[in-house]
Amino acid sequence: MLQLVLSWPIRLLIIGVLVFSLFVDGAGYVYRIANHYPLTGNVPGLPPNFGGWQLYIHRGLDLAGGTHIDYQLTNFPPGQSRADVQQRTIQVINKRVNSLGVSEPEIRGAGNNNDRITVDLAGVTAQQAQKTIGAISKLIYTKWVADANVTNGPEPGYKPQFVGLTGDDIQSATATIDQTGTAWDVNISFTSRGAGVFDNLTRDNVAACPGAGVDCPLRHLTIWLDLTQKDIDNWVDPSYVSKIYAPYDTGCLSAQTPNTVCGKFLVDANSLTEIAGGQAVITGNFTQQSATDLATGINSGSLPVDLQVLDVTQVGSTLGAESVKLSLAAGLLGLSIVVLFMIIYYRVPGLLASIALLFYAGAVLAIFKVVPVTLTLAGITGFILSVGMAVDANVLIFERFKEEVRAGRTIAAAVDAAVHRAWPAIRDSNTSTLITCVILGFVGPPAVQGFAITLGIGVVVSLVSAIVVTHNLLAIVMTGSALRRPALMGVDRSARVV
Amino acid sequence: MVPTPERPQEKALGQTAEPPRAEPRVRRLNIIGRRNIFFAISLLIIIPGILSMATKGFLLGIDFAGGTEFTVSFANNPSVAAVESAVAADPLTAGGTVIQTGAGGYIIRSLPLTPQQQALVEDDLTKRVGPMVVQQVIEVGGTIARETIEFALLALVLASAAILFLLAIRFRNVPGGWRAGFQFGGSALAALLHDVFLLTGLFSIMGKVLGLRIGEIDSLFVTAVLTVVGFSVHDTIVVFDRIRENLRHSQRLSFEQVVNLSIMQTAARSIITSFTVVLVLAAILISGGTTLKGFALALLIGIVSGTYSSIFNASPLLVVWRRVQPLR
Repeated sequence: MLQLVLSWPIRLLIIGVLVFSLFVDGAGYVYRIANHYPLTGNVPGLPPNFGGWQLYIHRGLDLAGGTHIDYQLTNFPPGQSRADVQQRTIQVINKRVNSLGVSEPEIRGAGNNNDRITVDLAGVTAQQAQKTIGAISKLIYTKWVADANVTNGPEPGYKPQFVGLTGDDIQSATATIDQTGTAWDVNISFTSRGAGVFDNLTRDNVAACPGAGVDCPLRHLTIWLDLTQKDIDNWVDPSYVSKIYAPYDTGCLSAQTPNTVCGKFLVDANSLTEIAGGQAVITGNFTQQSATDLATGINSGSLPVDLQVLDVTQVGSTLGAESVKLSLAAGLLGLSIVVLFMIIYYRVPGLLASIALLFYAGAVLAIFKVVPVTLTLAGITGFILSVGMAVDANVLIFERFKEEVRAGRTIAAAVDAAVHRAWPAIRDSNTSTLITCVILGFVGPPAVQGFAITLGIGVVVSLVSAIVVTHNLLAIVMTGSALRRPALMGVDRSARVV
Repeated sequence: MVPTPERPQEKALGQTAEPPRAEPRVRRLNIIGRRNIFFAISLLIIIPGILSMATKGFLLGIDFAGGTEFTVSFANNPSVAAVESAVAADPLTAGGTVIQTGAGGYIIRSLPLTPQQQALVEDDLTKRVGPMVVQQVIEVGGTIARETIEFALLALVLASAAILFLLAIRFRNVPGGWRAGFQFGGSALAALLHDVFLLTGLFSIMGKVLGLRIGEIDSLFVTAVLTVVGFSVHDTIVVFDRIRENLRHSQRLSFEQVVNLSIMQTAARSIITSFTVVLVLAAILISGGTTLKGFALALLIGIVSGTYSSIFNASPLLVVWRRVQPLR
């Protein structure tokens, strides 16, 4: 099998891989520099661009700076698939996060039972993030009932009353343009339970205030965020009501204490007719912007579950940049120490191994970009460590090579024998590392998974680099060149015992 | 027993004549004969470590201990006492700990805080001590801390079992078959556990007995332990592979002699490889930032221990095992 390694097809393949790797490594930088874009991250129109897919090194939060939050989902609405609920929650969080203008927010489901969500937001403080996401707001529907004590407020003489319809009953809300093509509406579609409740409500409302196209308080349905019974009990206090009736304020709501009063009002709509089938339209003098805002509000106002924060990590961008610098410096320092050492100690083979190491580094970085692997501090460590393992395979071969030369083989024969004899050790030791990587990748905590992925990729590429690239370079240099002098091979022939 | 074919790969090379195989020119140290000294050295470090772990436990990093940790840097370079009094004065952080990381740099730990409370704490510190930059805030609940530990232990156990079986399979073709395979695997596993206990024990001593912050255990430390596991097995396999090879064609030698010869033949490689890694780690340890220092130290200790155990523990242990359970 190892004979095949020295064949020309394999050599061409390796050259092909090298060229492709260098292309991937360099891709995009000319464009970025020419257009004054930052050197990392998603930028518009970056070539090569296949349907928005871009090639660049993805940095983890500990390097880029930002906030990481793990949420536990509790209070699942009964009778719905947990996976669906989790997906809906992720969508809601996505919408809320969009308002922060984060580039590449990462919101992933996790947990054995679809009961976790992990959020990674670059460049956002923990406070901003939690304010925006953690707004545990729930959409509440109310109707209006007569109360003589209420003299002021949006509907004098009436106060709101819960109707048993909440955000859990809404499937989605969308902004659409109406049939005339000029005004904007908001479409709401209810779940099957919501559709039934809504049907009854609208029927009762129309019956309570009969007549076609009448607009009376008894017909109105109002949507609030987080409206509580306490708020309704305070409806007689005009100043309290004016605060509640203000447009909803998620920032205030997420930070509220028992004493603050936040705006909770979303929309107040008149029911024109009974609506069966679960599709309602809110009309009004909406512009595209205001209709979209309302739809987003309805969607993002209604988290189907309660979110409980498990842990939060916030990394300042300076600390992240510092970490990048340090790990880059450590990596370069390590690489140059290794290269220097190999050349001094092993001479020509050491130089060839260093060239192979450059192939290795180029190929691994290309894989990181293509997959893409999100690099974290632990991930970079895995990469640096795999450099050590790549060198180890070469050291094994070269030490063996020296032994074989001392044992009296010709240099060409010694190269072959060294690779063959070193192979079982290289194979078995790397297999054990790979197995460890696979286990860590599956059961390790998230920080360790990044490490396992980069180390695993590094180990595989290092095997190819040591066995195929170094071996080929050695074989090419060895065929009838002036370099075949033992002194250049790092072997002291006089030490021969034969 | 069927005799193992004599070096089958030799023929594939198309060699006309086997050159006379001289005794390789390696210095002879009798490592196997002095094995008890080396076992004693290991135990001398490991036993205090285990005692420390059992009685004192570890200095836990925030991701294991749970709570809130602020990493801040004050512009006016305040004294530790000034920061401590400010932290104690704030009811939200009262009872918290303060650790200095550099000029003006501090780590402040408290019980878990909500984002609003965190903001209050930051305002308070600015008021009481001076303007500061918040570099990092970590908030960890108990669930995540417990899961991290559970996952890490599970990973370690699974990795150990996998390595044992991998070695048993790979080494079952030496004289002695599967039982020999498990002897090899078991010895490698023992060397691996040696490194894990030595590393965790030393960190327990550093963190709890000596009270050094570098001895803190966090998820990066877990990464370091697992890396050391990989490296240790790597080293051990290289020695064992040589034993496997020498067993095939040095049949005149006793098992102990074969093992000693193999250690000598691979020592150069083991030391060179570890040396390059140690150089890199030492560079990180000396010049690197605070986040990486503990990690680099853990790796440094682990790699040195891994090289030591593969040379001085794993193979001697194999010899002892053979004596206790002879294979013919």
